[in-house]
Amino acid sequence: MKGRYPEGIISWAQSFFENISPGVGLIFLVFLATLPVVTMRAAREQRDLEFWVFAKQHADAYRPLVDGWNSQADNKSVDLQLIDYQAMERRMLSGFMSGTPVADLMEVERHMIGRVFSGPLEAVGFVDLTERLKREGLMEKINRPSFSPWTTRGRIFGLPHDVHPVLLAYRADIVEAAGIDMSRIETWEDFVRELRPLMFEGGAVGRPVRYLLNIWHTQRDTIEMLLMQAGGGLFNERDEVDFLREPNVEVLARIATWIGGPGRIALDAPRFSASGNKLILDGTVLATPVPDWLAGIWQYDLPDLGGKLKLMPLPAWVPGGRRTSVLGGTMLGISKTARDFEECWDFAKSLYLSPTLAEKFFRDSHIISPVVEHWGLAFYHQPNAYYSGQCSGALFIEQAPHVPRRTSSPFSMMALDALGTVMHKVVDYADSQQISDPKALEPLLRELLKKEEERIKRQIARNVFHSGLAQEVQR
Amino acid sequence: MKSVRMALAPWLFLAPYLVTTGVFMIWPLAISFDLSFKQTFGPGHEVWVGWENFQFLLRDPLFWKAARNTAIFAACSVFIQLPLSLGLAMLLNRPQLWGRDVLRLVFFSPSLVGLVFVGVLFSMLFEKRTGLLNRVLAAMIPGFDVDFAWLESYVMAALVLAALWLYVGFNMVYFLAALQNVPAELVEAAMLDGASPWQRFRHVVVPEILPVASFVVLLSLIGSFQLFELPFILLNGSGPDNQGLTIVMYLYSTGFVTGDLGYASAIGWVLSLLLMVFAAGQRWLVRRLEQ
Repeated sequence: MKGRYPEGIISWAQSFFENISPGVGLIFLVFLATLPVVTMRAAREQRDLEFWVFAKQHADAYRPLVDGWNSQADNKSVDLQLIDYQAMERRMLSGFMSGTPVADLMEVERHMIGRVFSGPLEAVGFVDLTERLKREGLMEKINRPSFSPWTTRGRIFGLPHDVHPVLLAYRADIVEAAGIDMSRIETWEDFVRELRPLMFEGGAVGRPVRYLLNIWHTQRDTIEMLLMQAGGGLFNERDEVDFLREPNVEVLARIATWIGGPGRIALDAPRFSASGNKLILDGTVLATPVPDWLAGIWQYDLPDLGGKLKLMPLPAWVPGGRRTSVLGGTMLGISKTARDFEECWDFAKSLYLSPTLAEKFFRDSHIISPVVEHWGLAFYHQPNAYYSGQCSGALFIEQAPHVPRRTSSPFSMMALDALGTVMHKVVDYADSQQISDPKALEPLLRELLKKEEERIKRQIARNVFHSGLAQEVQR
Repeated sequence: MKSVRMALAPWLFLAPYLVTTGVFMIWPLAISFDLSFKQTFGPGHEVWVGWENFQFLLRDPLFWKAARNTAIFAACSVFIQLPLSLGLAMLLNRPQLWGRDVLRLVFFSPSLVGLVFVGVLFSMLFEKRTGLLNRVLAAMIPGFDVDFAWLESYVMAALVLAALWLYVGFNMVYFLAALQNVPAELVEAAMLDGASPWQRFRHVVVPEILPVASFVVLLSLIGSFQLFELPFILLNGSGPDNQGLTIVMYLYSTGFVTGDLGYASAIGWVLSLLLMVFAAGQRWLVRRLEQ
């Protein structure tokens, strides 16, 4: 032993093991035992470009196309990574704020983007694509309103992934059995008048057995969607908070009388919840506003509804009014730290403009492409047995050009919270005072909307990055 | 040389603690203090705003709503939860109680599951139409509205009830330990002197368990002021009209949803200040009571 190893090492090792505690010795032995495993572990194959997505459905759809892209010798290889929604949001924002590397390409959901846009324009971590989109004619190729959530201060920072028009899904089996012709319904007023008798059909006198519409004051995004349908919304065209617009007051008052008071027609069947799904399955609620993605999710989550549902355009708020709205959305952005912008841009276009991907997305998730020229493709116009043989894709496409523009304000979540607060109070008032006339709720609504609008304006006013003060201070 | 080594030795042993505390406690605290006087969008975009964050906080109705909700919850913790815990501990401290070891485990066991689980469990119990509570009430009371929304109409009561289920047994363990340390001869002497059960409790038991009780009060207050997970899960946010919004939830939403880290830091420091005031007040009160 002494002949093979220097005496110094042996004595050092002896004294080391004599002088350390058993716990430290154990940790040291574990370290030695695992060291070869860690060092010999195959390193992840290095790719040229990194692409983060948060939705498994998207990752599954993209994988064959990414493999096809990577197999082309001229292309830089892309590493597609599926990352949890919140983890991705944190990594992306931390990267943007601290200047540390993030992926070259990232898919961003609508609720994430406000944070990205909350700083000064030059601090947005994505490349400004506005000029590029105009130069290459993509502004005409892609459904124009679908750019709005990804636009801030007049600049566009992403390629839209979808349109997400909203239709009304209703229980055709129940409605048609009662002899109601839904094609005659044009407005929400028609909808309530025609369907109201179904609420009490077969039950005790005065006690509803079912409700007409799935909406509640806690479903803030659905209410906002209906405001946009009416030409209102929480922000105006200049992305300024504007709660007190006339369509907002009228629509909110009407919705409040649907949820509360003696004229109630609504029930809360929340999305993605077992209890909500059961209420829809049981026919306790007859109609739900559904964007294309939810129409796809139902096909998987509620197979028992197959053949019982039909889709129709949303009833308008006024005769001749808009018959759709918009809910949800995703974009593809290229980060400013991307290693090769041109290659990323080519990849982004090959993915998002691909008819193959459009077909896969429609077949797997019922999502329709924002690329206008794809809308004539045959797969969108085939009958769908789940929706009682209707050409469900074509129904969504018919409404796609009419989806309203949306805000990308970083204060949109705050505004939605405020909307929830207002609606809670108004519904409570309608309940306690037994009010069924929307006009009677309007004074209270105006007062509450004004109060919340002022609160949010105060929040925005103190944001130095939005008031432009930051740029002045930095100068 | 030896004296230098001797002088360095304690610092060497202290180094792991000092480094970790410095890096993960002192440094972030200093940064957050600095942030509370700024508006930021990442380190590259910072603007010094002085006391503006604190001034805005003073006139921010949402902060005051959060503070009010938190204070109500804290008051319920101290004035409902702790007396219940003490009562339960006294009951389960009776030697003649049959199966008391099993009962102790039963009452303590909810605290093994954690706040997130309790949030999910109670959100299912309180659900409209399909929730257990409404189903049972509808079966028992003719005409009961099965769509009654507990989590919209009684937000704070629901929060307090869920917290009671979780923490009554947990705090009971502290009181039980304290009660077991009350000298039996003192109680017996009081009995021989003709003291009533209330007099024995007031003049013998309470003074003996006071140090533990004050510790439990302080823990409950701090825990209440840090309340976050339970309303966040139970109400899926802050609840209708922000009735379940707490200070820490508001801090979270300001810092990580709105992205205003400066304002969130200011809220954090005000919360710390409040906790320091409560801790100092509680110590002062206990000293007065002990005297």
